[in-house]
Amino acid sequence: MKVQKLFRRTQFGIFLLFGSIALSTSALCVYTVDTHLSKEYESNSKAIAQVIADASVDIMLNRDLSALQSLVDQFLQIQGIKYIYITDESGEFVAHTFVPGIPAEIRAGDPHDMTPIERSLPGMGDFVEVGSPILAGVAGAVRVGMDTSLVALKIQQAIGQQAYLISSIFVLGVFATVWFVNLAAKPLGQLLAYAVHLASGIGRGDESEPGAEFGALLERDDESGQLARLFQYFSRTADPGKLQRDPTPGGGSW
Amino acid sequence: MPSMTRRQLVVSGLVGCLSVPRAMQAAAPGGAGGSRRLQAPAPGGAGGGSGPAAGPSGRAGSAGVSDSEIVLGMSAVFSGPSRGLGIELYRGAGAYFEHVNRNGGVRGRKLVLRTYDDGYQPDPSVENTMKLLLEDDVFLLFGYVGTPTVTRVLPLLKKLQDSKAYLFFPFTGAQPQREPPYGAFAFNLRASYRQETAGLVDNFVRIGRRRIAVFYQADAYGRSGWAGVRRALEGHGLDLAGEATYRRGTKFSASLRRQVEILKQSNPDAVICIGAYAACAAFIRDCVDLGLHVPIANLSFVGSENLLNLLVEGRDDAEKYTQLLVNSQVVPSYEDTSIPAVREYRDFMQRYRPQVPRELVTEQYTPFEHSFVSLEGFLDAKLMVEILRRLGDQPQREDLEEAIFSVRDYDLGIGERVSFSPDRRQGLQQVYYTVVDDGRFMPLDDWQGRLA
Repeated sequence: MKVQKLFRRTQFGIFLLFGSIALSTSALCVYTVDTHLSKEYESNSKAIAQVIADASVDIMLNRDLSALQSLVDQFLQIQGIKYIYITDESGEFVAHTFVPGIPAEIRAGDPHDMTPIERSLPGMGDFVEVGSPILAGVAGAVRVGMDTSLVALKIQQAIGQQAYLISSIFVLGVFATVWFVNLAAKPLGQLLAYAVHLASGIGRGDESEPGAEFGALLERDDESGQLARLFQYFSRTADPGKLQRDPTPGGGSW
Repeated sequence: MPSMTRRQLVVSGLVGCLSVPRAMQAAAPGGAGGSRRLQAPAPGGAGGGSGPAAGPSGRAGSAGVSDSEIVLGMSAVFSGPSRGLGIELYRGAGAYFEHVNRNGGVRGRKLVLRTYDDGYQPDPSVENTMKLLLEDDVFLLFGYVGTPTVTRVLPLLKKLQDSKAYLFFPFTGAQPQREPPYGAFAFNLRASYRQETAGLVDNFVRIGRRRIAVFYQADAYGRSGWAGVRRALEGHGLDLAGEATYRRGTKFSASLRRQVEILKQSNPDAVICIGAYAACAAFIRDCVDLGLHVPIANLSFVGSENLLNLLVEGRDDAEKYTQLLVNSQVVPSYEDTSIPAVREYRDFMQRYRPQVPRELVTEQYTPFEHSFVSLEGFLDAKLMVEILRRLGDQPQREDLEEAIFSVRDYDLGIGERVSFSPDRRQGLQQVYYTVVDDGRFMPLDDWQGRLA
């Protein structure tokens, strides 16, 4: 149908709009998830390190280190925690979860520095390591390594969910657009057909009433109906002789 | 038994008592964990128990005691790579209980050993203990296996201290059940890891092997042994030469070459292993294969016969894997028939041929005719029966402490006398050292000549 040409730009615009929405929301999603999750991750890690540090005081001062190791092992079950180690006041490792051994990068670290560190350990992955002093550092320190690949995984999951949602909306939008375009195009097509019908009648000097197929069009109370009635009015008042002498500017003939 | 239900226990903060966030109380890691129950006395082949699972009928005034039986509870490893430890310990204890039951029981009451498998994993062991104490209503806990399991059960016993629920003779030499705050809830027969590691270190240092490295299980057991070695070295003004770890549950088929490479870098004179037999055997194999030819020592918990079996099975050159092996033991050699208890043990093992019931053992395992672990289980059971006899005709949990503290200079039949008191909650102190000769563990008398 010729009139649908009018909506091609609209359809293009819809695609463009959806693309922009998908891209911008995905970018925002990545930024938000990354930022918030990383902050939350670090915050949780600090809290866990603090809990272990608080629980370790009594054990380190009064009990066997196996109790300390047992405590550390239990926290290792929390998702995201990949390693925990505890150093005493001299920096010696008195409990840890490393297998097959303590990585050289960890051994080389400053035992008194509690600043969060981003670590990349060969064969283990990437981590954010946070620390908490035990008894203000007098008895040692606890450090917890959180697996940053979990953040990346969460981001992937968030983007995947976002893409799924946008795609679903897009498909629905396409179907809805086609349906709405067709809905709008149908009376325009009828109007066009009616205009042609009127013009051909005027050209032949036939000013008879329109056929029943245009009755519904003339009954409409929207712009199509109004235009149809306007065309009908013009056709009844037009001078056929003038129309034949003065054709349309495009040079077409009806 | 207290009126407290399991639900009330949890609600009242048991989880907090265990120092574990609630979310972490999830199911045990795969593979090890299912709890399967067996009630076993030993009669009729160490297996078929009598008495309903819900507890004995005809109560005689205390949990787990009826007119006809006394029910003991056991949670141990019967599945996974370390299953040999639980099975052998059970068999040794079963032989003695069987003998007692066939001869009239303890003051007319048969002994029933209600048993669960914890797969050597902490969470199932806690769960099993709750079942044993709160549902099965056992009289006492007996023969638990492992440090990571026992250290998690001890807070539960503290929580239930009003009910006087005690753990007798766990198969671990770790410190938590030997010192405050949980030492009051357990009684130990065997020497501690601290004593075993100190003995090994002292002997190694004495023969000039001063650079001592540790290969240990990455858990409470490994840490306990690691701490023992470090402590003993400090006594000599030495530090650990190196250390490497492995994960609990590692199989013999696993490669431990990375651990060997790590220890080789520290150039040790000797290595002390704090582990279970499958991983330690794999480590020894890889040490020899990679050219680390130094004495390698294992603690009693390793399960010596299982270790040896893995090292020599199907090998023509087995000797090179065992010639520098030295294992500490907490019971004397079962080969030494001059020891009365050893003769008794061999006789009962031969006569009753105790087996762990099939319901509990789901994986292939061929038991040993004799082993250090089953001898320990036998001695545990022997002392347990003596204590139960001392409780009189109406056994009460409240009287258990008094009964065990009445054990003074008691002769178990191994030469070393056993005594208990409020300040002495470990019966035996002696550590024995063994090496492999002719495919068997034999006493090590000459450290200098053998390992210098």
